[in-house]
Amino acid sequence: MPPVPTRQIYWNIAGHDYMYLFLLVLAAVFLYGVWRHYRTWQRGRPSPWEHRYRERWRRFAEQAVVQLRLVSQLVPGIMHLFISWGMVVLFLGTVVVAIQADLHIPIMRGWFYLYFQSLALDAFGLVAVAGTVIALWLRYVRRLERLRKGLFDGVLTGLLLVILLTGFVLEGLRIAATADPWGLWSPVGYALARLFLAAGTSVTVMRHVHATLWWTHMILAFVWLGYIPFSKLFHLLLAPANVFAQPLTPPAQALPAIDFETATTLGAAHFEDFRRKDIFDLDVCTECGRCEEWCPAWVTEKPLSPRAVILDLREGLHSMARSEGEPPLVAGGVIRADTLWACTTCGYCQEHCPVFIEHVPKIIDMRRYLAMEEARLPDAMEAALRGIEDRGHPWRGSRFSREDWFRDLGFSALRPGEKTDVLYWVGCTAALEERSRKVARAFAVLMREAGVRFGLLGDQEQCSGDPARRMGNEYLFQTLAQANIQSFQEHGVKTIVTTCPHCYNTIKNEYPQFGGVYQVYHHTEFLAKLVEEGRLPAVAGNDLNSGENNAPAVTYHDPCYLGRYNGHYDEPRSLLTDYLRLDLSEPELSRRDSFCCGAGGGRAWAEEDPAHRVSIVRSRQLMATGATTIATACPFCLPMLTDGVRGTGQEGEHVRVMDIAEIMIERLGWQDKVAPQNTITGGTEG
Amino acid sequence: MKIAILLKRILDPEVSPHKFSLEPGATRPSDAGIPKVISPFDENALELALQLREKSPGSTVTAISMGPPETVEILRKALAVTADAAVLVQIETDPGPDAFGTASTLAAALQKTGPFDLVLAGRQAGDWDQGQVGSLVAEMLGFPCVTFVTQASPSGNGLRLQRESENGYDVIDADLPLVLTVTNHPGNVLRLPKVRDVMMANRKPVTTIAASDLAAMSTKIPPLEILALEKPPAVAAAEIVGGRDEQEIAARLVQKLQELKVL
Repeated sequence: MPPVPTRQIYWNIAGHDYMYLFLLVLAAVFLYGVWRHYRTWQRGRPSPWEHRYRERWRRFAEQAVVQLRLVSQLVPGIMHLFISWGMVVLFLGTVVVAIQADLHIPIMRGWFYLYFQSLALDAFGLVAVAGTVIALWLRYVRRLERLRKGLFDGVLTGLLLVILLTGFVLEGLRIAATADPWGLWSPVGYALARLFLAAGTSVTVMRHVHATLWWTHMILAFVWLGYIPFSKLFHLLLAPANVFAQPLTPPAQALPAIDFETATTLGAAHFEDFRRKDIFDLDVCTECGRCEEWCPAWVTEKPLSPRAVILDLREGLHSMARSEGEPPLVAGGVIRADTLWACTTCGYCQEHCPVFIEHVPKIIDMRRYLAMEEARLPDAMEAALRGIEDRGHPWRGSRFSREDWFRDLGFSALRPGEKTDVLYWVGCTAALEERSRKVARAFAVLMREAGVRFGLLGDQEQCSGDPARRMGNEYLFQTLAQANIQSFQEHGVKTIVTTCPHCYNTIKNEYPQFGGVYQVYHHTEFLAKLVEEGRLPAVAGNDLNSGENNAPAVTYHDPCYLGRYNGHYDEPRSLLTDYLRLDLSEPELSRRDSFCCGAGGGRAWAEEDPAHRVSIVRSRQLMATGATTIATACPFCLPMLTDGVRGTGQEGEHVRVMDIAEIMIERLGWQDKVAPQNTITGGTEG
Repeated sequence: MKIAILLKRILDPEVSPHKFSLEPGATRPSDAGIPKVISPFDENALELALQLREKSPGSTVTAISMGPPETVEILRKALAVTADAAVLVQIETDPGPDAFGTASTLAAALQKTGPFDLVLAGRQAGDWDQGQVGSLVAEMLGFPCVTFVTQASPSGNGLRLQRESENGYDVIDADLPLVLTVTNHPGNVLRLPKVRDVMMANRKPVTTIAASDLAAMSTKIPPLEILALEKPPAVAAAEIVGGRDEQEIAARLVQKLQELKVL
């Protein structure tokens, strides 16, 4: 009978039982580390939990197993897949050894020994080595900007490489010294064994080196493992957990409502005011810096980095846990107020965080404390809030009323109690801001021509509350939401269509918190539907319409609250290319990578240093496509980018910024239908 | 120090011009669909009152307004920025331009709810812009009055005031009791209320006095009466001066301006 393939465990290791002593120490240190964190996680308020386990496991498979977000940056993604999967398989190999050595179940034999314990382990070990080398290369040779180059960043990766390599050397020594008949099944070890033999190393020397190296390898591995809960390595465990535990309804999109009757503190003044999940997030951070790369605040030198917010909070939390004194003030203390006000809530950071940390809800939670408990906001933002409070809109000084833009077009506002199925929610900006008013006119005319019967609230419309909520004044937001829901009820509204992605998000995702549930469309979504139903005429011309000198005709800027917040990337594009037959050139940062115009989160009303405007940075990116028309679909992006293009100087002179509805009017040749009509005395321009 | 602050509720002065309308024959503008706000200079006066209370412990601020029952909304705003008490002098409609009548009713209300050491008012209301009520109230109460005040702080037994003047500002020491009319200044922009205070303000009581219960101090002068009110026609006369080049345009422009006797 041929011998069964296997190998001797603890070959050449005298007194290997001492290893259990080390293991005991490791376990104690590890558990202590975990317990220390667990204690701090308990400090927060309870987090809501939706079950839906099928969905959770699906996300786990996508983001923890296949790691899609990580792979969106190819080389770093492969690096991480290599290291993580290499480590998982090597760990399983160790488990197999433990089963055989400690539970005395003989599984390390036969084909399983050859295919898994020898071949697969060698292969994945090699993959892990490759991953580690790529990691070091990215950090120290390519010097990727987002990666920090501190002492421990290098030591932790370097140590891992040493552990992996010593493992291979041990294997090679064993194969060489025991003339292992199945050595070829461990190709890396076998190659090393041949090398040792070729060098004429004696068995005595090999045994001696093997024994010493085995203990070194074991101790290094234990030190590395023991360090996990005390460093960013903790993400090995916490990141998959966070993928699984992520809120299924994203809290940035629908911010948690405050119950003013019961709330003790409004917003996050101290760590105790955060939800537990928010505190857990802090420990998950791997410091990779993907959040920071295209953060509009960080790129334009504002005092905010989403990574620094998380790390400063983490540091604050841990130093609070170490000392017994007064808990530190978080909003305006651990995190400076000007840092919090710099956020545009664009969501780039959380869309790109591979471990699913949610930055925006934490920032808003801290803003809530500043805005409501301390009533402390930057002057310009304060004025916008005051405007909303006094006159229902933030556009102080607008010379228009909400009914001026449509009067000459022959529309009228709903009379009290008059019912409508489809409501066109205009939003303050499209109704009152000079540039954006043209969008409201264009869209209303498109709907009329398509035969859509729709209602307008006119003066009964008030701010949807999005700016108030995102500037932290939840109280004002709730007042507005309730008033608007009441108006919808009065007019029997079931379907709402809006030109504003911010109103769209708030009405669709946040009003249900107060009982307002409607079918909500963004105008690009609605127009795409009208085109599909054949309710708008075909556009003349057969070819893709290119700009001058064969430059692309148009580029498209994804509004954050339409794209990242609500996933509408395709409808606006399909209108431009399929319906309008325009030659669309994508900017480098588009879709989920899109770069904010700078107006979200109340920043539309904030003071901004003219030398460092987000809108100018974004306009340059869009103009780099060579397109002479920048299309967008948001009444905030529109004036921001119009200013931004102007701010780029001469190169911007021939570039125009337009809403998709306006481009449709132009391509359909309906300019006269939206031009100011003189039939009504007075006109709109007063 | 007992401080009273007089607040007027007016039509939002920032309303779009198209919204501002007069019904034929009406003697006051139509207020349909127009928000009503605290008159802007009164907000500055309110802020100054709150600052004075902070600088002299033990002081109280009482907000007083005259108007129909809905006027309570602006009194709630004053309570939200932590005014200690609020008094509504109830009349049927928002006060019009009859400064003498308004001042005498307010003076009577101040006497009834006082005595006050200090009365603050905006330098003029944002609707009729007459600028009389503050000084008339001072006259009727027999208090001295300082107008166009921007800043105030306790000094000795009275106040040290900064007052805007034509060439800069005056610094004045004044004894109490006193009436101040306040003008805007970066240092007296009304603070934002804290949300808790807004919620509390809804529960604080507002004292209501019927104007008819106040023996107005003078009945000798009949109240001002508006006979007719008209919106001036908007006249926009613009002429584009053309020409072949800049020089010709400039020459024609100069000629035009000379014809109009501007140059």
